[in-house]
Amino acid sequence: MKKSLLAIALLAAAFGTATPLTAAAKDISLLNVSYDPTRELYQDFNAAFSKFWLAKTGDKVTVKASHGGSGKQARAIIDGLDADVATLALAYDVDQLQEKGKLIPKDWQTRLPHNSSPYTSTIVLLVRKGNPKNIKDWDDLIKPGVSVITPNPKTSGGARWNYLAAWAYAQKHDGNDEAKTKEFVGKLFKNVPVLDTGARVSTTTFVERGIGDVLLAWENEAFLAQKELGVGKFEIIVPSLSILAEPPVTVVDKVAKRHGTEVVAKAYLEYLYTEEGQEIAAKNYYRPTLTSVAKKYEAQFPKVNLVKIDEDFGGWQVAQKKHFSDGGTFDQIYQK
Amino acid sequence: MHFKFTKFATALIASGIISLPLAAYANDSSELEELRALVQQLDQKVKILDRKGELAEETAAEKKKTTPVVKASEDGFGLESADGKNKIRFKALAQIDYRSYLNASNQTANIDGFDFRRIRPSVEGTVFGIYDFKFVPEFGENKTSGISPTAAGAAISKSSSNSGIVDAYIDARFKPWFQVRAGKFKPYVGLERLQAGADTKFIERSYVSNNILPNRDLGASIHGDLFGDKLTYAVGVFNGVVDGGDNITSQDFNGDKDFAARVFTTPFKGEDSALAGLGFGISATTTSTNGQANLSSITGLPDYKTPGQQASFFTYATGTSANGTRNRWTPQAYYYNGPFGVLAEYAQVDQHVISGTTTEKLSNDAWHVTASWLLTGEDASFKGVKPKAAFNPDSTGWGAWELVARYQENNIDGAAFTTSKTFADSTKSSKSAESWAVGVNWYLNQNIKVATNYEQTSFKWGGGGTVAAPIDRPDERTLFTRLQISY
Repeated sequence: MKKSLLAIALLAAAFGTATPLTAAAKDISLLNVSYDPTRELYQDFNAAFSKFWLAKTGDKVTVKASHGGSGKQARAIIDGLDADVATLALAYDVDQLQEKGKLIPKDWQTRLPHNSSPYTSTIVLLVRKGNPKNIKDWDDLIKPGVSVITPNPKTSGGARWNYLAAWAYAQKHDGNDEAKTKEFVGKLFKNVPVLDTGARVSTTTFVERGIGDVLLAWENEAFLAQKELGVGKFEIIVPSLSILAEPPVTVVDKVAKRHGTEVVAKAYLEYLYTEEGQEIAAKNYYRPTLTSVAKKYEAQFPKVNLVKIDEDFGGWQVAQKKHFSDGGTFDQIYQK
Repeated sequence: MHFKFTKFATALIASGIISLPLAAYANDSSELEELRALVQQLDQKVKILDRKGELAEETAAEKKKTTPVVKASEDGFGLESADGKNKIRFKALAQIDYRSYLNASNQTANIDGFDFRRIRPSVEGTVFGIYDFKFVPEFGENKTSGISPTAAGAAISKSSSNSGIVDAYIDARFKPWFQVRAGKFKPYVGLERLQAGADTKFIERSYVSNNILPNRDLGASIHGDLFGDKLTYAVGVFNGVVDGGDNITSQDFNGDKDFAARVFTTPFKGEDSALAGLGFGISATTTSTNGQANLSSITGLPDYKTPGQQASFFTYATGTSANGTRNRWTPQAYYYNGPFGVLAEYAQVDQHVISGTTTEKLSNDAWHVTASWLLTGEDASFKGVKPKAAFNPDSTGWGAWELVARYQENNIDGAAFTTSKTFADSTKSSKSAESWAVGVNWYLNQNIKVATNYEQTSFKWGGGGTVAAPIDRPDERTLFTRLQISY
């Protein structure tokens, strides 16, 4: 009798504990709206995070991703694309979510370490095997007959980094003479035969369509092209000066709140800063910000003299207005 | 240009113009290098042109997603956002009649002549994909609503005004089975009334629509389509109008509301069956309304018109007013098969009335059967006719020709006619009206229609005499012709 009572009590206890757990387990869906070249990074990262979150909470997270030119993606979110998190190419595009969409708070950039940029990158030059046009630095790109592939700064975040890297080089080279700098960048863009909408499309144009002599690329994209898209067909040229690209991330608060995904969205971004998240970033050729992982992958990334957007261009708001707004320097030089 | 480069490069390579001469004659390696470089340049140019073409197409496709679409067709003129979620359409209905009263000597109010029956420019559209709106003003003579010499009220009954708002409503299509309409519109009650004014088979609607059931009212309805549009339902609450009435103001006659409900089914719709065009249903309204006998404008009672629209053949006696419940019910059906169509409807109204201290419940009714046959073979339907070949004086197209026939009756409860003329005077008001009509409709195209109707109506009583021996009102014989444009 006692045994029967005990068995019943145990069963009841087991059901009593197990049932709520089973009932509480949720299927959660997150949408990460990102820029063009992060497909591979987030494919790996999303799988790792889902595994991590399942182990931690018992909830199954499915992360969907949307990729495109950073500027275009920001506009899509403002126009109603239901992004729980945004992982864009530059802070200006994330700022738009606040300014035009009122979707995130003003202080979004202070919510995560390193100005909310869990990884960084820079801009390098990708040339064809043997470097037939003998391209070594930015000034080789303005020579007649050199065909340069870069996306459109109006739609692509990567393209804006490309543009500013070239500008910074010319500025330094020409002793801060803005007219000469503008002329230099103008000559460079005269050598650009087509403007694609995003960095990945430009990579496809250069790698698969075989157009152009040199691709201005995110460092991670250049590595990807060299090591995975066309093994042995390309070489990376590290210019004498480039720019520190800091792609930021944020929870899209209003959307996440509406979806009830605030906690998991926040955890998703925080996981980017963990050792595992940083490892995944490094393996996908993004420069990690966590010192231990950065040290581990130190040899993978060439040392480059880097300018910074805040120090050398006065921040993204100033740079955007001066160079990429309607009538800015890009419009001036590209119309010529 | 792109094509030329592609063709040129392909031709150069394929024909061997470059490679063969190189092998055969080009001993000079620098010449070979030059030619190789030339081919590479051409190859790059072709690829760049290819890519530019793709980008141009992408840009055009992207632009198309946001470029508004301008539409101009027989269905109207309008603008639409690229995603189709926001649209506005400008439509119009104009009906110009010539009305002949063939026995005018007995119908002093009826004068032959031209008549702007309906002049209705309208705006309709959709916002946010599911919210439809419609606004229809009237600049015609609006005689559908008729003249009510003794009892009509501005707030509740028939209007003799020649301008005003015909429809003004918003319809939210949340789900096919759950839609909400609010504003001024046709209550979901009468079948013929729900047929568009441009699509009715006769120039004027039947007694059922004009004398018994509500025309238009202010209120709100929940309605929807179930089982793949095979069953429609509607329930609604309205300010309330007298029989055949059109609510022309935003004010209610009294605090009591009219409640309306309707179900209609087309059980074989979409099937390959002779019954595919069959539809039938029933609807009803109910309210409690009390008029004021001393104010002719708000007696709460109607008068009933002849098909000629100008005169009332039945009018309640002075001092009579509505006194409580008013219930209407109306079974209704249509059937369309090939060029043949028939629409039939019965409607009854039970109206409590009072005169002095005498009360009564009066039951008046009306019914009609309207048949049509498209001689030119088009398919008949509840909606308009689209000719197989539009009329064109320069070709063989003659549009669509249709013969129509109708029989209809309107009967007044005998209890209304007492010897003391308590509720109605049999020497002035008829107890019944019976009408038969034939007509021809010529649809020149989807938008232009010419119609001619002959209708003859005989009346019981209402033509004088004495209460003990009332004389019948003379027959009304009308010949109406209409030119209509609608889009």
